[in-house]
Amino acid sequence: MDRRTFLKSATGAGMAAATGGLAMPALAQSPSKTLRFVPQANLANFDPIWGTQYVVRNAAALVWDTLYGIDSKFQPQRQMVEAEEVSSDGLNWTFKLRSGLKFHDGTPVTSKDVVASLVRWSARDPMGLMLRAIQVELAPVDELTWKWSLKQPFPKMLLALAKNNAPCSFVMPERIAKTDPFTQITEYIGSGPMKFLQKEWVPGAKAVFEKFADYKPRSEKADWLAGGKNILVDRVEWVIMPDPATAAAALQNGEVDWWETPLADLVPVLKGHKDINVDIGDPLGNVGAFRMNHLFPPFNNVKVRQAVLTAMNQEDYMRAVVGDDDKLWKPLPGFFTPGTPLYTEEGGEILKKRNVAEAKKLLAEAGYKGEPVVCVVAQDMAATKSMGDVTAELLKSIGMNVDFVATDWGTVGSRRAQKTPPGQGGWSMFHTWHAGADCINPAAYTAIRANGDKAWFGWPDVPAVETEVTNWFNAKDLAEEKAAMGRLNKAAVENVVFAPTGFYLGYQAWRKNVTGVVSGPLPFFWDVKKD
Amino acid sequence: MLAFVVRRIVTTIPVMAFVALFVFSLLYIAPGDPAAIIAGDQASPADVERIRASLGLDRPYLVRFAEWSFRVIQGDLGTSIFTNLPVTQLIAQRIEPTLSLMVLTLIFAVVIAVPMGVVAAWKAGSWVDKAAMGFAVLGFSVPVFVVGYLLAYLFALKLDWLPVQGYTPISQGFWPWLRNLILPTVTLGLVYVALIARITRATMLDVLQQDYVRTAQAKGVAQKDVLFLHSLKNAAVPIVTIIGIGIALLIGGAVVTESVFAIPGLGRLTVDAILRRDYPVIQGVVLMFSLVYVLVNLLIDLTYTLVDPRIRY
Repeated sequence: MDRRTFLKSATGAGMAAATGGLAMPALAQSPSKTLRFVPQANLANFDPIWGTQYVVRNAAALVWDTLYGIDSKFQPQRQMVEAEEVSSDGLNWTFKLRSGLKFHDGTPVTSKDVVASLVRWSARDPMGLMLRAIQVELAPVDELTWKWSLKQPFPKMLLALAKNNAPCSFVMPERIAKTDPFTQITEYIGSGPMKFLQKEWVPGAKAVFEKFADYKPRSEKADWLAGGKNILVDRVEWVIMPDPATAAAALQNGEVDWWETPLADLVPVLKGHKDINVDIGDPLGNVGAFRMNHLFPPFNNVKVRQAVLTAMNQEDYMRAVVGDDDKLWKPLPGFFTPGTPLYTEEGGEILKKRNVAEAKKLLAEAGYKGEPVVCVVAQDMAATKSMGDVTAELLKSIGMNVDFVATDWGTVGSRRAQKTPPGQGGWSMFHTWHAGADCINPAAYTAIRANGDKAWFGWPDVPAVETEVTNWFNAKDLAEEKAAMGRLNKAAVENVVFAPTGFYLGYQAWRKNVTGVVSGPLPFFWDVKKD
Repeated sequence: MLAFVVRRIVTTIPVMAFVALFVFSLLYIAPGDPAAIIAGDQASPADVERIRASLGLDRPYLVRFAEWSFRVIQGDLGTSIFTNLPVTQLIAQRIEPTLSLMVLTLIFAVVIAVPMGVVAAWKAGSWVDKAAMGFAVLGFSVPVFVVGYLLAYLFALKLDWLPVQGYTPISQGFWPWLRNLILPTVTLGLVYVALIARITRATMLDVLQQDYVRTAQAKGVAQKDVLFLHSLKNAAVPIVTIIGIGIALLIGGAVVTESVFAIPGLGRLTVDAILRRDYPVIQGVVLMFSLVYVLVNLLIDLTYTLVDPRIRY
């Protein structure tokens, strides 16, 4: 071949070699009964026990069923369980599975599968760990029955098995559930209403779920994670879109059907579109927060923490996070999710009115000497960046010396675990948020705990808070629970376990040819229909 | 020639070894902890530690580097910390969209930019030249994501001619494949068009002053032949060089373009991996891009012999 012939043929051959013969899963096909959904984040892994990200929990709720499911009134309802019985002393629980339940590989769901799943779950879940600590025995009795014996009563047993906070107690086949809880599973077989099509999974791009024909839904009407999970489409495709503007355009163009978390800035455009519905996504919203390091100056002094809280105006934070839409935020003079049965504002007066003069006075009383406040702020998360900017101004306004560290969430994740002094790789404060679903009571609310070294980052040590957490767990009725929660909120505010910056909500958006979308702490695909 | 190729391939080995060492070391000292991301916000520090241990991230630097290097030599780039899938599988899943985008962009850019540069040089100083160079400045100046959004707004949302996002494999048909790639190609290609057009114009301006061009014109050779056969061929070496150098530009631009148009390519894989600190994926992708870049440079060197027979190795 001479030089000229080579030049003539090179382009065509290169193109053919480049694109010809490389097979990969379809990424833009659209069968008629396919619901295309843009989730809040990438489904980067799919083990809901190993990794506790909410996006994993949301996808897992399609594939794995739970023994109980929480409903919209926050009550645990039977899901896979047909009946349960507890001994009069509260120490022995016996559960029975519904008959005829099958895994996606066709094998029946048995009590052995349940026990193995509970063992794995309880090694990672805060409530599961509490159960483990008082466990005598967890064992199958027969094919469908198992028994859980305890050393002391655990009144929140059904809540533990029903809660939607990650990790949920999903039931897996025994062979999968026997995987070490700190090692990722490699087989995604559940007994939930949809099968996970592992071969079509392209992490970072797409995850596909197919209706499970042998699923046996309950007869009750679906209500969040409870009731009959009837799937009315053939496939659900999760299309990962890192760019919100692209997701908005794709929804307007009908290329996707449902977007879980539209950016607040883009909502007016979506609301103005004739084919799109917009409504609140998760009614339990989020609790904005920044945490102060209780181990080192200046925040090891409660008066300094109180000074910061006194100078705070939650509206500043919420406007920075959600903009001018008043439907999307509420002040939060406490730590628990507004609108839920145990919500309380007891002791929250300090958060209701900004008082800079009082804050400066408290700071002076604390003997603050200008120690730098290492404020670590993730810039790649809109909420943390907005809140971080407000906090920096707040601290300066009361005369604090701010060392603002702009970084990414990955770095915050590792730096916040450092217990070294702020000037030696540690930190003084970082910003985050908590899902409102986690903040309805202390059960899954790790951030409210104040048990020192075992507490969440910042390591608050407030025995009064821990006492009330225990009182809530042991409460026998709603009145006792409410009383414990009130005292807990008061102690947490007084000691500033962390600083709540307000309560905020987000929207979800979907095409009008899609019906059955409800507001909830996670996207529920049952009863969703596409015309 | 064969000896040159062999020599170049052999010299690739220390380059790749250095890249491997550099990337591994950089990630080792970079802040961030994948175990903390995996564990989630509810996890206790003990949980995070246990996950870190299960991933082998608590072992000394040299041990980890030696193990990784040994595997890489055997062609095993490791397993993603997050997806638990082999890095080679993740790359294989993503290579077609990126390759398609880059090849189409190259074709688009060369087909537009080279004639534009030639005509601009031929009509130097005229409005045609000014318009072409104005376009080139615009192509350089406007960020890729802005071009992407504008094109998507016009051609997808307003005119409804093309899809906003996604990728269809070529195995599902040429037109569906091309349809998804038109907007990303134009978006990514504009900066490349600008680069090649400017270099082509500058080189052609120089060549058009040469005696042999004047001779050809004096002999009455048709203007298009003077431009494209006599002049362009002699201006080809710098143009080919800039096309090769531009591959790096394309790789960088593909990251943004793939995000804007939700194309599941290597660029997005890289960004996702960096944000999550998925070390094996970052290392694998960077190593692969480095290899591609080294090989492209080799290919460019060999191409010189095709466009200029005087060059021999």
